[in-house]
Amino acid sequence: MKSGWWKALGVLLLLYVVIVGLRTPLAPALVHLSEDKLPPGRNEVVVAGYNTRFTADAPQAWLQNDAQFVCATAATAERDDRLRVVFDVPDGLRRDLSHLVVRSNGRTLVFHDAFWNPAKGAGIANAGCAPPVEDTAGPFEFPDRSVLYETIRNLFFHVPMWFTMMWLMTLSLLHSIRTLRNNDLEHDRAAVSAVSTGLLFAFLGLITGSLWARNTWGTWWTSDPQLNGAAAVTLIYLAYLVLRGSVNEFDKRSRLAAIYNIFAYALMIVFFLVLPRLTDSLHPGKGGNPAFSQYDLDHHLRTVFYPAVAGWVLVGTWLYTLRRRARRIEAWLDEEPSA
Amino acid sequence: MRNHLHKLATTAVAALLAVRTFASSAAPDWLEETFYRSGKINTVIAVVTVVLLGLAFWMFRSDRRLARLEKRMNERHKA
Repeated sequence: MKSGWWKALGVLLLLYVVIVGLRTPLAPALVHLSEDKLPPGRNEVVVAGYNTRFTADAPQAWLQNDAQFVCATAATAERDDRLRVVFDVPDGLRRDLSHLVVRSNGRTLVFHDAFWNPAKGAGIANAGCAPPVEDTAGPFEFPDRSVLYETIRNLFFHVPMWFTMMWLMTLSLLHSIRTLRNNDLEHDRAAVSAVSTGLLFAFLGLITGSLWARNTWGTWWTSDPQLNGAAAVTLIYLAYLVLRGSVNEFDKRSRLAAIYNIFAYALMIVFFLVLPRLTDSLHPGKGGNPAFSQYDLDHHLRTVFYPAVAGWVLVGTWLYTLRRRARRIEAWLDEEPSA
Repeated sequence: MRNHLHKLATTAVAALLAVRTFASSAAPDWLEETFYRSGKINTVIAVVTVVLLGLAFWMFRSDRRLARLEKRMNERHKA
């Protein structure tokens, strides 16, 4: 148990991630509007909310266009997640797009660029209905991002798969280099164990990513540099196993595999970290899409995401050591020389 | 062992190709229905399920591997 503390830590971290990651509520948000265009005159809009409690108080609503405000003449909560708002839209708002702002239960909910404004003008006198209110610090909850909704929780189960995979491939690289330096088959076994465990995480990453994509982007797979890169890297590492399987002399196999592994690692870096950033990509964190910026990962997500990465890396390392130990016994039974 | 790896690689390639062809076909409605309700929480459940199944698969394979080693060890012990 003394030397196994990190395994227990890995399990505990994942336990924390599952409990907090799945139980933390999503922040209330405005998610759908019945109109996307507000011409001058009377307009009625039905606003759909998620995790909102419109009926719990009398919500206020207004349009924000540049620094101009248009107050709703009526805001009726039909249900906790449905609000009917009436606007008397004046002529001459300054910008093309207006935000919709709803204040409900002491919180300000904003639907950015909610309505197109067909009658642009020099601006209006401010109605003064929208006092700038600073929200007090909210409860512990995850942000509601458009199209993501609850699937933002997948952050703790999809992204760490790739972190763990890269960590295991790095371990494998180090062992491959050591194999080349001193011909120690123990390092060769470590390298192949790390690759096969890493491949488990790569496949989990591919499948979970595909599921996530289906339910947010609307497709199982799309020809995106990040996605194709991930698939290519997975195949490159599968080829590593095929290469090993095709050489019978263990001495030759260990050196050949080690050299291939170094190239595979270089390709992984190119496919994961370089290529997707050079072009456009749907995937967050690539091609100008932020992933680790303040915008995407707020500190509530971080308090679960970092433990998730640590937990999965620890559990992945554990799986790898199990595989490596089994291989060692196997080698002993095969009576391979182990330097 | 070699055969086994070949099989694994072929299956993986086939699976990836299958995924690609899937993308071009129209979306099945029932799936959308199931997944889009309740803020897409079912997607999260599916993802967690996949991860757990993956770990279970790994455990079963390790189990089989160890069983094979035990068998070989016992045979050697007898000899």
